[in-house]
Order: sequence, then C-alpha cells, then structure tokens
Amino acid sequence: MYRDLQEEDALLIRPIEQTGRGFYVSVAVLLAIIMAAGLLFVRQVYFGLGVTGMNEPVSWGFYIVNFVFFIGISHAGTLISAILRLSKAEWRRPITRMAEVITAIVLAIGGLHPIIDLGRPDRLLNIFTSGRLQSPLLWDVTSITAYFTASTIYLYVPMIPDIAILRDRDTRPHWLYKFLAWGWQGTEKQHKVLERAISILMVMVIPIAISVHTVISYIFSMTLQPGWHSTIFGPYFVVGAIFSGIAALILVMLAFRKIFHLEGYLKEVHFLYLGRLLLIMSLLWFYFTFSEYLTGFFGHEPYEMKVFFYKFAGPYAVFFWGMILCNFVVPVVFLSFKGLRNITGVLVASTTVVIGMWLERLIIVVPSLSNPRLSVPGGLYIPTVTEWGLFIGAVAVFVLGFLLFSKFFPIISIWEIREGRETSVTEVSERVKKYLPEASTT
Amino acid sequence: MARKASKKRINDVIFVAQIISLSMLWMFVISLSLWIFHLLFLSIKLNDVPGASVGISLVAIPVFWTLVGVLTYVFVGLRRNRISSNHGKS
Amino acid sequence: MPRWGMVIDLDKCTGCGACVTACKQENNIPQVSPEEAEQGRAISWMDLVVETEGEFPDVKVRYMPRPCMHCDNPPCTKVCPVHATYHSEDGIVAQIYPRCIGCRYCMAACPYTVKYFNWYEPEWPESMEKAHNPDVSLRPAGVVEKCTFCSHRIQKGSEQAKAEGRDLRDDDVIPACAESCPTDAIYFGDLDNPNSVVARLARSERAFRLQEDLGTEPKVYYLSEEERDV
Repeated sequence: MYRDLQEEDALLIRPIEQTGRGFYVSVAVLLAIIMAAGLLFVRQVYFGLGVTGMNEPVSWGFYIVNFVFFIGISHAGTLISAILRLSKAEWRRPITRMAEVITAIVLAIGGLHPIIDLGRPDRLLNIFTSGRLQSPLLWDVTSITAYFTASTIYLYVPMIPDIAILRDRDTRPHWLYKFLAWGWQGTEKQHKVLERAISILMVMVIPIAISVHTVISYIFSMTLQPGWHSTIFGPYFVVGAIFSGIAALILVMLAFRKIFHLEGYLKEVHFLYLGRLLLIMSLLWFYFTFSEYLTGFFGHEPYEMKVFFYKFAGPYAVFFWGMILCNFVVPVVFLSFKGLRNITGVLVASTTVVIGMWLERLIIVVPSLSNPRLSVPGGLYIPTVTEWGLFIGAVAVFVLGFLLFSKFFPIISIWEIREGRETSVTEVSERVKKYLPEASTT
Repeated sequence: MARKASKKRINDVIFVAQIISLSMLWMFVISLSLWIFHLLFLSIKLNDVPGASVGISLVAIPVFWTLVGVLTYVFVGLRRNRISSNHGKS
Repeated sequence: MPRWGMVIDLDKCTGCGACVTACKQENNIPQVSPEEAEQGRAISWMDLVVETEGEFPDVKVRYMPRPCMHCDNPPCTKVCPVHATYHSEDGIVAQIYPRCIGCRYCMAACPYTVKYFNWYEPEWPESMEKAHNPDVSLRPAGVVEKCTFCSHRIQKGSEQAKAEGRDLRDDDVIPACAESCPTDAIYFGDLDNPNSVVARLARSERAFRLQEDLGTEPKVYYLSEEERDV
C-alpha cells in the first residue's frame, strides 16, 4: 500500500487538484492564439508559400530558423536530466521532471516546423513511399523520431510512482491515473525494475540527443554553401542547443516557482548551479563561434568573406553583434560577478541567452542564402505576418503544453524528492567516505 | 459483492487498454523498421548510392527496438512484482 | 547514351536576352507581378547574369546566360528527400513535379542558384494562357522547377530518330535558347561524341566552367577570351 502524502509535499499536488480561474483564462487565451496561427497556416496552404517573406535566393526563413531553435531547446531536458542523473548530482531532484517535459513538448513543436515549411504538405506521405535515406532531411526525420520516442518514455517511466500517488488519492480523472500507473505499489522489486529501466534509458538518451542536433547541423554543413560547409557545425550546434536548453529550463523553472509558490523546492542554490552551467556553456559557445569565424576570416576565401562581412558589418550586423551581446557579454557579466550572481542575474542571463540563441539560428540560416556564389539580384528577407504569427503560435503551444501537463501531473518529481530526503543524505555521505583514505586502525 | 465485481471489471478494462496502448507502440516501431527497409530496397533498385546514411538508419532500428523493449520490461516487471493481496488494485 | 552538354560563347553573346524569353515561352514559365519580381520571386530557367564593373563613364558590363549546369555530380540531387530531382542516364538533372514536396532543400544546396520555386499558383496574362507549349507540363504551386535542357525536345528528337530507324544526331535536338540566339552563341550536343560541336568547343583554350573547383562537374561550358573571375 503506497504511503500517504505528507503535508509537506501537498503543495506539489495542489495545482492538480485545485483549478483556479487563472488556469481557464490562460488556456482560453492560448487556444485563441493557436487558432489564429492555425488559420494563418491554412491560408498559407491555400495561397502558397508566397504569403511568407521567402524568395530567391533566400528560400529558407523563419520556419527553418524556428525548427532549429525549438529542437535546440529540447536538449535542456533530457540531456540535463540524464547527465545530472548519471553523475549522481543530488540537486537535480526538483528539476528533472520540468526538464523532461520541455523536451517532449519542444520536440513536437520543432518537428512540425519542417512540415509547415513545405510547399506541398499534402504530399508529405511521399517521404514514406519514395523517401531517400541519403538525404540529411531524412536522417533528421529518423533521429527526431527516435529522440521524441526516447524522451517521452524517459519522461513517463520516472513519473510512474507519482502517478500512483495521484491514483491512490483518487484524484480525478481516476481512470487516467489508474491506466498510467501500471500497477505501481512501491514494492522493493518494483523499485528495482524501475531503477534498472531508468539507468538504461538515461544512458541511451544521451547519444540520441547528441545525434539529433548533430544531424540537424548536417542539413546545412552537407551543402557546399559558404558559411554552411563547415566541419565545426556538428559540435557547434550541440553546444548551442545545450546552451539554449539550459536557459529555457531556467525560465520555465522561474515561471513555475512564481506561479505555484515553489520557493521551498526550487531554491536559490538550484538556480546558481544551473547558472554556473549556463556560464560554462556561454564560454564554450563563444569558443566555438570564435573558432568558426576566425578560420573563415583567416582563409579569406571570397565567397566566405562575402557572408562574413554581411554578418559582421552588413545588413545583419545588428543581429550578429546583438547575438554576441546576448549570448556572451551579458551571461558572463551576470553569472561571474558575485554581486550580480543571484536569481535576478540568472533570470536576466537566461532571457538574453534565449533571445541570443534565436538570433544565432537566424544568422546561420539567412546570410548564407542571401549571398549566393553567382550574383543574383535581391537577397533581402523580410518575414511577414504569417511567419511571425506561426512563431507566436508555436510559443503559445509550448506554454499551453506546460499548462496542461501541470494540470494533470506534478511538475516536480515527488518520489525523487522524498527519496532525496530519506535515503540520499546517508547514501551520499557513504559515497564521500569511500573517496577519502581509510581511517587508520592504530 | 457487486461492488467488488464491478471494480474487477474496471480493472480488466484498464488492463486491456494498457495492453492495447503498448501494442500500438510495438506496431509503430515495427512499421518504422519496415519503412526503413523499404527505403533501403528502393535506393538499391534506383541505383542510388547507399553509403553512410544507410548505416545511420540501421543504427536507428535497434535503438527503437531497445526503447520499446525497456518500456515493455517495465510494464511486465511492474505487474509481476505486485503484492498479490492487493490484486484488486491495478 | 549521349551526355548532353551546352557551350555558351560569351564573346558572341550580346546580352539581348532572346534566350531568356524563348525559354520562358517554350517551357510555360509563369509570370509574376513587378512587386513579386522585385522581391525575388521571378522564375527564369535561363537567366542573364549581369555584372557591372567600374564607374561611369568607364563602365564595363558583362552578360552571362546561365541555364542549369546539369552537373554530373549534382549537389541538389544528393539532398532531395523524395527522389523528386535526379540525374538521368543521359546527363540531364531532371525534376519529377508530382513528387516534389516543396522542401526547397535542393534550392538551398545548389551553388549556382538555378532552381526556382512556385511561390503561388502559376499565372499568365490572358493572351499567354492560350499559347502554352503542349509538350511541357504545367507546374502547380509549391514545387521546384528549373532548366531541363529542353528534355521534351530531346525526347521528340529521339522518337523521330527511332521512327526513322537511325541514331540520334546532334542536330536533331536544339533547346529553345540555342534556337533563338541571334548570334548563335549557344551550342548544344553530346559531350561524349568527340565529333560534336560542343565536345570540340569544350576542349578549346577559351573554355571554362563556373565554380569548377567545387567538384560539381557542370556540363555548361563558357568560352571567353579574357580571364573570368567566377
């Protein structure tokens, strides 16, 4: 018989069992935004992609930028929660659930974006009947599907004990929790099964996650275009993804902390530790960016330089330097100095990183297309209402996904917190004792 | 007496639903593997050089099977290791 | 099996643009409004690339007709996810319009920017609606298209030769651009036939190809006395 919930963790169940008016209002607003975006999409399918700002030569725009951006954020989740679990970092306990949810939602959104971008979405099934595995786009389809499957399973399996808590409290809808709890009772053998499964998953999920963003980078780096055909793209994209993912995770955590009053669970130390990771990623990101551009500049190949100056001093200079400011200067300042290194500092840094990483995706996709090798007139890309609308719609889907999740499932892993309270303290002190030299017996 | 019987009915329905949902995942993985093999044969038929991309896809198939395998292991493991006195609760 | 190629003599080209117009007429290429053209949505399978050097009055203008290069190692076919663009046995990089899903990856991959997209449903002025070429299929919105070396004319020529029980000769086939050129600056033929005009001219001292160092092996050769920086 699973133990009853202690009063101290009741706070985590309250959002599920009590629905305020704010919830319904938010859902209504978000649904309205999403429907408007849906209408814009239908209009685009009816008239054609001409309603966007794409043209010759800039034949990829917002949709591909957002595709890379959203899939990039997915690395937050599974990667962080898997890596933190693997390295037995105890401070991960209140974070893992939110991180895993980000991944699942954002992968679904990101995965839809290439479909929104298609000229003939009605012919999508051609991928199944006459697809070519040789195309990096299909590598993408495969790896994103694998990651989505893996991350959903990796979200669900550790959630089973929490679902069982809801089932035992007769929370409505009771049938849902009974269906999903898979007969969990918290017996020792069941714990073993779960732990074994989680340890397999957390190891599997890491190479899958890395492969996803590497393969996305291959879409660009496998072409011959200046600014794209670079060997650094694989690692560069993965680093950028983890970077933007951590920032998004921090923002999500701060939002839930505020709304559900979770200051007791998401303490300053969690944000400071994540802030430290964010700082490391910022430095790593800057290192890759610097290498990429220095190499291009030093070689001074004419077509590379055209793209280079377009970004450094041309029409995209404001975005480029904005990106450097957002991704490097602000995070380093706010996360290094003791005075600024608090929750507000972490909030500021994460916000600028999310913006900066979106700018980075824009800077990767458009300038190389705007500066083709053969002189073609034009090359200016101005996104239209349709593209902005679908962007905002995608963000709305993200928020709605989270709202709905938090309505039905605890946003912080209750059993892992409990495990932390009960067993981890002794377990960790045992572990640390093993690292130290044995006490002498004399 | 009747309440216990209807409770058992609900548990049975839920069990069937769980089996169906798990089978759907298996069908998804099987059809995905079939799709990849279909594309492989298509590329051979069209003399489209297979190359490393085929290798990548062939790595993907075991990954999917492992994932579904782990999930099934959890399902079977959880059911098998319940305390039988609480057989009513599912 | 012939390997179709093209030679364009830049020393003969006057930049008149007849090839561009003939191609548009022959291949039922849709027309766009001036605003759309300004934005970069105009479709020109055969395009005239104009390069201006210098300041007035010492301006030098160069014209380069640019069809699809029909590369022997095409970067566009490598990336297509659905086999909608492919390299045929006789050297034509072809499009399968009904299969194209409009992902525009081939457009992003082409280093010569020869691929065009139907951003809207194709439209023509009323008078041109009646003048469509029945040999060339009309494309719907949302698919990619490009120069085909007038493969419909190649097909017609092959069928004619077969009917007459002989081999296909070089002069059986002439694309619309070559046919319309007033200075005969465009040549078309089988590069693998050592006696053909294109094979001879491709070996000339004046011959060069665009972006040769990319390894795409384009089959459009340009002839020019002066050094071209491409």
